[in-house]
Amino acid sequence: MEDKKETKNFHLNFSAFFEKSEIIFRRLGYYFRIWFMMSKNSFLMFLNQKSVFVIFLTGKILRFLFYIFFLIFLVKGADGLAGYNTNQAIFFFLTFMVVDTTAQFLYRDVYRFRQLIVTGDFDLVLVKPVNALFRVLMGGADVADLMTLPPLYLATIYVGNLLSPTPAHVFLYLFLIIVGLMISTAFHIIVLSFGIITFEIDHSIMIYRDISNMGRFPIDIYKEPLKSALTYFVPIGIMVTLPAKALMGLVNFQSVIVAFLLSILLTIASTRFWKFALSKYSSASS
Amino acid sequence: MSKYLQVFKISLEQEFAYRLNFIMWRIRNVLQILVVFFLWDSIFYFQGRELFGYDRDKILTYVFGLIFVKAFVLSARAQDVAGEIGRGEILNSLLKPLNYFKYWLTRDISSKSLNLFFAVIEFGFLFIILKPPFFFQTNPLIIFLFFLCILIAMFIFYLIVFLVNAIPFWAPEMSWGGHFLVTIILVEFLSGSLFPLDILPQNIQNILNLTPFPYLIYFPLQVYLGKIEGLLILKGIIISVVWVLVLWFVMNWIWKKGLKAYQAYGR
Repeated sequence: MEDKKETKNFHLNFSAFFEKSEIIFRRLGYYFRIWFMMSKNSFLMFLNQKSVFVIFLTGKILRFLFYIFFLIFLVKGADGLAGYNTNQAIFFFLTFMVVDTTAQFLYRDVYRFRQLIVTGDFDLVLVKPVNALFRVLMGGADVADLMTLPPLYLATIYVGNLLSPTPAHVFLYLFLIIVGLMISTAFHIIVLSFGIITFEIDHSIMIYRDISNMGRFPIDIYKEPLKSALTYFVPIGIMVTLPAKALMGLVNFQSVIVAFLLSILLTIASTRFWKFALSKYSSASS
Repeated sequence: MSKYLQVFKISLEQEFAYRLNFIMWRIRNVLQILVVFFLWDSIFYFQGRELFGYDRDKILTYVFGLIFVKAFVLSARAQDVAGEIGRGEILNSLLKPLNYFKYWLTRDISSKSLNLFFAVIEFGFLFIILKPPFFFQTNPLIIFLFFLCILIAMFIFYLIVFLVNAIPFWAPEMSWGGHFLVTIILVEFLSGSLFPLDILPQNIQNILNLTPFPYLIYFPLQVYLGKIEGLLILKGIIISVVWVLVLWFVMNWIWKKGLKAYQAYGR
């Protein structure tokens, strides 16, 4: 009798779990389709202005090449940067670019959020049957960044390979890149939330960009207390320096755990801050 | 003259109207200086090290000099002109009894004064916090030539900005794109605002010296540091003055063509 009851309970729990999973996957599919549609529209809008697209793409490629050449001349001339050789210094920069460009590709609409707030058009986002945060965060992927991502990933794989990593180091690197992207997402959400409260988003996002640009070089070059601030307060070090160090085998297990927990904490804190900011939205201009 | 004085005053008040905007812009400048400072500080960590023709004092003076020279040269309001053209708003300005170039030059000078004021505060603040070694130039002639180079650099940048501003006459959607490519990417790397250009190989330097970009930041700072002397200073000043003249003529020619081709979209 007991056995039958247990089997029945197990069966019920299993089907409830299966149903929940199905709902989650259906929801994920729904959002993926919306993201795909919004990205397609964004690409079509951008490609409609071919000259603007060419200019931005050229600018991004030039900036990337200028930095690489600068690093090569600098590190070769100085015989190292904070104890790292040329390939390692370039790998730090490439890892920064991977996290930064991927985030920019996904979250380009954050840069357009102010317009929604000051015109009151954000009301139209709020009444739609789509999560408002998803819409303003991922509503317009950047095609110029999409074009630069494949060569960037290939360059990162090529330079990373020169550092002779073990499979475990590669796994840790990829895991920490995901952690870095989670931290970057959290910061974009915080910037959006500030945008609702202060109407000021253009400079907030650029200040975030300037701070994250400090990760172009290994954070070992910064002195205390800035170094600690960049590790724990605005964890640029965890976002970009730590993954690169992981591939070089310079990271211990505790650091990986701390990085993961911090990314979870920041994600939770940022979504709570977003909810708080939404409660302060006054719809002033609509 | 008095109308431009009024433009200066209004422009200054306008900057204060968006105080948070201005403070954020200055914070961004400090952050950018911090990156460059710590990068070079780590390279010259060992006392007595000489690299690329610099010792620790001179390279960190170069970095701190960037605060002033960038405030003098690169702070400008004239970038807004491209947007005015793209949106068709320039017609309002052209109908007014003002010289459009003088109007924006006055607005630029007002922006530079304000930025310079804050640059002094930031300089003091960073100097106290970072305590860098600093090379004080004591030769009055060199100091005079340094300010002369900055004055020429201001005109070069103003003319470059106005040349880029002309793009929307033909392509209104390019208001921001041109500035992104020229006044952000090219100026950032080729003017010496990220690194002194003499870390590059000599043949690249020779080519760069023929463009207007090194005369914006790198050349004035080299003069201040005493790394360029005598006839080389004269040669640099002559090249930069020639660039002012060339850019002035090209800019006038392009603007005349642009105003004829302009269709004032959006009006």
